[in-house]
Amino acid sequence: MHYRILLATLGLSALLVLSACNTVGGRVSDALEDEVKSNLVGEVKLVVAHRQPPQPLEVGVVLFDPGIPRDVSKHQELGVYPQIRTAEARYIPYLLRKALVDSNQWGPVRVVPQADSSLALLVQGTIVRADGLQLALDITVRDSSGRVWLDRIYRDEAVERDYLSSQNSGADPFGDIYRKIANDMALAMGRLSKTQLRRVTQIAELMYARQLSPQSFAHYLSESPEGDVELVRLPAVGDPMLARIGKLRDKQHLFTDTVDQHYMSLYEEMSNAYLLWRQYGREIALYKDERERRLQDRQRSGRRGSFTAMQEAYAAYRWSKVQQEDMDELAQGFNNEVAPTVVELDGRVFHLTGSLQKQYQKWQGILEELFALESGL
Amino acid sequence: MLKPQYIYVVIATLCSLYGAPCVAAEGLQATRNKNIDFSGAWEKDFSKSDDIQQQLRGLVRDIRRVAERRAKAGMDRGPGAGLVVGDNTKDSVPSIIGLAKMADLVTQSQVLEIEHSRAAVTIKRESAFALGCTFHDGESVAVENPLGREICGWDEHQLVFNLYLPEGLTIQHRLTLGPAGRRLNVATTVLSDQVSRPFTINRVYNRFEPGSQGIRCEHTITRGKVCTTVSY
Repeated sequence: MHYRILLATLGLSALLVLSACNTVGGRVSDALEDEVKSNLVGEVKLVVAHRQPPQPLEVGVVLFDPGIPRDVSKHQELGVYPQIRTAEARYIPYLLRKALVDSNQWGPVRVVPQADSSLALLVQGTIVRADGLQLALDITVRDSSGRVWLDRIYRDEAVERDYLSSQNSGADPFGDIYRKIANDMALAMGRLSKTQLRRVTQIAELMYARQLSPQSFAHYLSESPEGDVELVRLPAVGDPMLARIGKLRDKQHLFTDTVDQHYMSLYEEMSNAYLLWRQYGREIALYKDERERRLQDRQRSGRRGSFTAMQEAYAAYRWSKVQQEDMDELAQGFNNEVAPTVVELDGRVFHLTGSLQKQYQKWQGILEELFALESGL
Repeated sequence: MLKPQYIYVVIATLCSLYGAPCVAAEGLQATRNKNIDFSGAWEKDFSKSDDIQQQLRGLVRDIRRVAERRAKAGMDRGPGAGLVVGDNTKDSVPSIIGLAKMADLVTQSQVLEIEHSRAAVTIKRESAFALGCTFHDGESVAVENPLGREICGWDEHQLVFNLYLPEGLTIQHRLTLGPAGRRLNVATTVLSDQVSRPFTINRVYNRFEPGSQGIRCEHTITRGKVCTTVSY
């Protein structure tokens, strides 16, 4: 009798502790959770333009915010592996870039390490969820005038068919999410007049010019405290300083294109391992159901407590850990990748080292110095 | 009254089934003794490590002794009870041998490489997955997936890793640093809900200086593992 009471008390206490634990932390972001749930993109076909628009906008996709919670104890609950998430924040923008390029709706699409005022349209994103079953991204698209084109959460779920098709064609299992964002961006563009679109490009050019020479270009633009930018007037056609700035702007993009090329090859190397990792994540998530089935089939896994059954349980856990370690190592390698960038400018070769952000800032600094020298400002 | 080992098995099973925070139940702490540092490379000392056969004989003896005591007290089946040759009951010979084989399987690493900082301890084990212990805000962070649950913490001067797996299997590694920090004892205990007593095996490791000492390595995608010499 005493045993039963003790066992019941132990069991009840454990369950009470459990229910308490399940409540704590589970209410942190209910609003976000609801938004994520209601934004499933479904199956999406990319809308491809037969002909590129006459004045296509230049697009910059800023490296994503990995969305890693500061509270380390939340990582487990949310399935966040920081090394892998950091790598994903650099990897996912390239997949979005590919969808945008394939849509044929845009001018050059570049992945940039930070927000760049010389680009007409900027895409910024935060990874809300990324596992083998689903991907949720919080996306904001703004043009150079500060107009918000998109600001919402996109969510996609991958089913087995998506993974099979990935293995055969190399397509991303969450391809629908990128196609949906690309389609929504094209829709948003369609709502603007030709004049409005031309203004976006002009503002971007003048924003860059203002950055290089505030005293010469500040008065062409007006900016509200909210960050909305308006074109006050345009420089004269053939303004020599604007022409010089235009050349520097091209050189600014030269750096981004060089870096993009380097990273594109890295993504190709990483894509297979990353696909396996996500597939593994999916299998883990589906494992519970599978295990129930396996437990019913005792013949195969051996009697409970037998070496075969214990070895199987241990091997499965070891497999999950090894998968994670391998992916962690790969992601670490990816995140450590800070190859120097060599760029040629007016017959001089510049060797940029350090993190991508640092290289980018150094390059901007070089261009600003060059402009100051050339223009005598 | 329920015996302590049964309580432990019950708790372990509940933890395994529901993922309860067993650290509290086992009294493990997240704060370490500042004088203890497991960092470094360790290689197994076979001469000082336990012999698995001997440990197995010890376990069988223990179970038999307990069973005989219980039989004498009129609580069980009679002399010789406790060990069952068949495989469908608790404390069966296959279950006990299985436990010993599991202990052997999970303690095969001959070399350990330990990174130890204030916030984390990582034990890279040759031919096995790494054991990791991360501390945040004074608490250790559990690792959990549907395949198992791992939790670690300090029990005074010992670092303890508990791994709860399906099939009623629990594996505990208890690390103790020897005098002068030159020796490391890893006591591995394997528990099964099908065997009434745990099986423990001690593996002793000696600190050694690997050939790569003074070299810092970093992984990159294009260049793979890149190592550079570091002067201390």
